[in-house]
Amino acid sequence: MIRFDRVSKRYPNGNQALSELSFELGDGEFCFLTGHSGAGKSTLLRLVMMLERPTRGRVEVAGRDLGDTPDRLAPRVRQGIGMIFQDHKLLNDKTVFDNVALPLLIAGLRYSDIGKKVRAALKKVGLANREQAWPLSLSGGEQQRVGVARAIVGMPPLLLADEPTGNLDPDLSWELFDLFRELNQRGMTVLIASHDLHLVRRMGERVLVLSDGRLMDDVVPTAPVVS
Amino acid sequence: MSAGPGIRQRLRGWARRHSYSFFSSLGALMAHRVGTLMTVLVIGIAMLLPLGLYVTLTNLDRVDLREDDWGALTVFMQAGVSDERVNALAGVLSARDDVGVVETVSPEQGLGEFRQASGFGDALDLLGSNPLPWVLSVSPAGGADAAMETRAQALADFIAAQEGVESVTFDFKWLQRFGRLLELGRAAVSVLVLLFGVAVVVVVANTIRLDVAARTDEIEIMALVGAWPGFIRQPFLYAGFWYGLLGGVLAMVMINGALIYLEGPLDRLLASYGHQGDLGGLGIFETFLVLLSGGLLGWVGAAVAVQRHLKTLRVGGTLGRR
Repeated sequence: MIRFDRVSKRYPNGNQALSELSFELGDGEFCFLTGHSGAGKSTLLRLVMMLERPTRGRVEVAGRDLGDTPDRLAPRVRQGIGMIFQDHKLLNDKTVFDNVALPLLIAGLRYSDIGKKVRAALKKVGLANREQAWPLSLSGGEQQRVGVARAIVGMPPLLLADEPTGNLDPDLSWELFDLFRELNQRGMTVLIASHDLHLVRRMGERVLVLSDGRLMDDVVPTAPVVS
Repeated sequence: MSAGPGIRQRLRGWARRHSYSFFSSLGALMAHRVGTLMTVLVIGIAMLLPLGLYVTLTNLDRVDLREDDWGALTVFMQAGVSDERVNALAGVLSARDDVGVVETVSPEQGLGEFRQASGFGDALDLLGSNPLPWVLSVSPAGGADAAMETRAQALADFIAAQEGVESVTFDFKWLQRFGRLLELGRAAVSVLVLLFGVAVVVVVANTIRLDVAARTDEIEIMALVGAWPGFIRQPFLYAGFWYGLLGGVLAMVMINGALIYLEGPLDRLLASYGHQGDLGGLGIFETFLVLLSGGLLGWVGAAVAVQRHLKTLRVGGTLGRR
């Protein structure tokens, strides 16, 4: 699903975010991306989302070489990815329902189908009774779950999450990771950037450890992960 | 599998996206009623000015100069000219391309009209014989334009040279000025349409520019979840369309209100110039054209504003920043 081949990224300000990074994430895999702040996790996600271009190397997503993909096709790449943001990125002047429906409206689905899928996604994240609520009336945890519902509503083949548990208490975080695991078991490839090592260890899934833009480790922990 | 269903499905998707943007943009305008009303008011007034001048000129145009007395040459025949000669001259004039209508007034008719209009009936009875000559009223063909003076003068010269004609009078200076005022008015309408059309585009562009700036986060989020630039643009373009359309509706309401208010006094003024008939407003086609133009101008204004902004938009600028 995702293949990085000797990928480097240097920002115009001289910051070397990634250096010669290579890894492969197969279809249906579940993987954590961890490392200290500034290790390059977000840059990696930005490259997958086509929000950045690599300075060197090759990034492939779903068999598509993003280096050869023109900017005008970036929306098509993003439509195949469900992205969960730490700061939720919700539209505050739209209801929970409308927020979650956004990817489906973009895809041009029928309103009746949109209604069914949105309600199913909200039920999955435990917000079935909040579809007409406004985002600002929800708690941080509920807002995060709205963001999750939006990311999974179209059942994209790839789910990316950038620190999805940053604003959640441990119980909710665990519930959320359980949901990710369930989606993964249905065939969705999941890549989660997180520095919550406790949860990462508990999940027992593959972990990519980044440090200063380099891949330090690529393991499936049976023992505690050390960054 | 054939490509047909795929294309149909894409077309349906396209139509659904547009339908969503069409109605959601209207909902967004309704959510900010005061701001929307102010913008629509400015657009309506901008459209009202050229529209008002156009309606005024249309009504003045309806006063047909070719067939009305105040556009006609008055031909006084010599005393004692025979009826046959008068009718022959009327026939010659009617056959000319530069003549619209020829009316003959016999001395008896003239005296009768004068008796009725002047109120000097008793005094006229004292006259031994009818002193009035045959009179021909000749309306030149063609509208009131800049060449009218030349045409009327040539016709007057021709008539004056005919046998039995005593004199020809024609107040073409007045008519010429009127015609030139109408021409100026028509040119002014064109200039005003252009200027206020630009004004509508600028007003809508500025409104949408502010709207886009206020919704930068929303635009970025839409782009992050895979919205095509077209989908991002659509609500703003439709908002521009609504602004222009509603401005057009407001202009129409104002112009019709003004017509209702002015109908009485204007009708009386025109009646004093011999014109009968109601004050005319805009027809169905013209109304449709005004509303469509308003909508299109609004769309263009929005397109200008959105295009400029989207070019500078950096999607995902805050992703990963804490």
